[in-house]
Amino acid sequence: MLRIEGLTAGYSAIPVLNGVSIKVEEGQFVAIVGPNGAGKTTLFKTISGIVRPSAGTITFGDHDLLAIRPAQRAHLGIAHVPEGRQVFPSLTVMENLEMGAMTEAGQRDWKRNIERIFEWLPILAERRGQFAGTLSGGQQQMLAIGRGLAGSPKLLMLDEPSMGLAPTIADFIFERLIEIRRQSNLTILLVEQRVAEALESADHGYVLEAGRVALEGNNQTLRADDRIRKAYLGM
Amino acid sequence: MTQALEGFLQALSAGLLIGAVYGLMCVGLGLIFGVMRVINFAQGDFMMLGMYAAFYFFTALGVQATFGNTFGPFVAILLAGPVLAVFGYFVHLTLISRVSGTRTSSLEGEGHYAQLILTLGIALILQNGGLLVFGSVLASIRTPLSSSAWELGPLFYDVSVFINKARGIDAVVSLVTMLLLTLMITRSRIGKSLRAAADNPTAATYMGIDVDRAHRIAFALGTGITAIAGGLLATNYPFHPFVGVEYVIVMYAGVVLGGMGSIVGAFWGGMTIGLVQQMSTLILPTQLQNAAIFVVFLLIIFFRPQGFFGRMVERT
Repeated sequence: MLRIEGLTAGYSAIPVLNGVSIKVEEGQFVAIVGPNGAGKTTLFKTISGIVRPSAGTITFGDHDLLAIRPAQRAHLGIAHVPEGRQVFPSLTVMENLEMGAMTEAGQRDWKRNIERIFEWLPILAERRGQFAGTLSGGQQQMLAIGRGLAGSPKLLMLDEPSMGLAPTIADFIFERLIEIRRQSNLTILLVEQRVAEALESADHGYVLEAGRVALEGNNQTLRADDRIRKAYLGM
Repeated sequence: MTQALEGFLQALSAGLLIGAVYGLMCVGLGLIFGVMRVINFAQGDFMMLGMYAAFYFFTALGVQATFGNTFGPFVAILLAGPVLAVFGYFVHLTLISRVSGTRTSSLEGEGHYAQLILTLGIALILQNGGLLVFGSVLASIRTPLSSSAWELGPLFYDVSVFINKARGIDAVVSLVTMLLLTLMITRSRIGKSLRAAADNPTAATYMGIDVDRAHRIAFALGTGITAIAGGLLATNYPFHPFVGVEYVIVMYAGVVLGGMGSIVGAFWGGMTIGLVQQMSTLILPTQLQNAAIFVVFLLIIFFRPQGFFGRMVERT
């Protein structure tokens, strides 16, 4: 579904990503883990078109993504739940969800989507009239995820959904993600620093280090890998 | 005693009426700044163009012949709005978009330096171009209503207030325009996407909102709204190609008073300026009414630097 090949990208002349290749198949849950500054967020920004790559290709379905303008990419079915949540603070919870549903599919499925989102993340139904800027961090993260789901995406990209959250709330978010995926069979690409949780919930994983893919494999191989156990899982 | 009271009520009503039009004028600028974060120095000159557009619609393009002297000016003013909106749309498309929006979000200062110079340049071209095309003779869009009044009252004892008919209608047109704009911004899909693009342009792009297009819509709307306000002012005040310079300062004062980025705030900022300007004549010579505006402005900013509706927090 998503195929990234030889991607090199960065800011100014310094490449943050150096020949990264990643594949996400339909229905797969893929996690990309790695330390701070490895280029995980830059990778997402390149997929969304905010950062222009200097080399490499990105294809989504049959589309050459790099030939498509950033604002059009959401309409192909890519939902980006960005790092640091980035909800629209002066819009209400409901209006934020409406913004997530700007795509044609989002418009079409609005009724069904909003029902499911409220079922999965009931706090959003409770707070629907509240300004998003007044929500707690965990609630904002749920809103950001709900906003991503509201567009009926084919691919949901989550950038560090646990960032800045208390461990219990981060656990809750992970639990919700797994539940959402179980019920919707959505294709998910997750970037995460909480390596153990990420590798546990994903089918397939990549380890990104200093802008390169250092390791790749399915859930079991990665969790059994010595380097990962030592460097990330503390075993 | 009753004379002083009558003077007070008269100044108050005049302030409210002119304040409503100033409010609308500030909203045009506030909308552009709020959505795009572009400081537009040419806004006063867009307003000047709006005045001339209304003037030519009225005198040369048959509005006077069709709608008559009394209400023709208001029809012409409402026509000038959309025309200037289209003008604003193309100014953004051809010029402003080159130094703003997604194209500059990664630049140092987000392109603000280029924006200042560009909009100042547009202002100069419009002022001097206006001088060439329209000439330096004062123009006005007067209706018989400009020199007649409704008498309210006697309210009590023998105190009554006179409302200039043209200003009364100006204020009503302003309020209705403001109401429609507010409904559009708060209720419609386009309005919500403008607010989303203002809140966080990057996240708006992730939603599939074309931020540059949202900016273009905001710029067109803001230009059209200020043009309508300009036309309304022109029913009472004569104008010339450099008239924008006089009003742009009031516009900025209003937007800052209301709180940068707040559209409702910009309206109340403009309203405050209208009130202060008219009420100050009660105790100060008329020549000082603009000085009074800025004394009050500085006082308010001293005690409430973020303006009436502004937020202290930085946007993320």
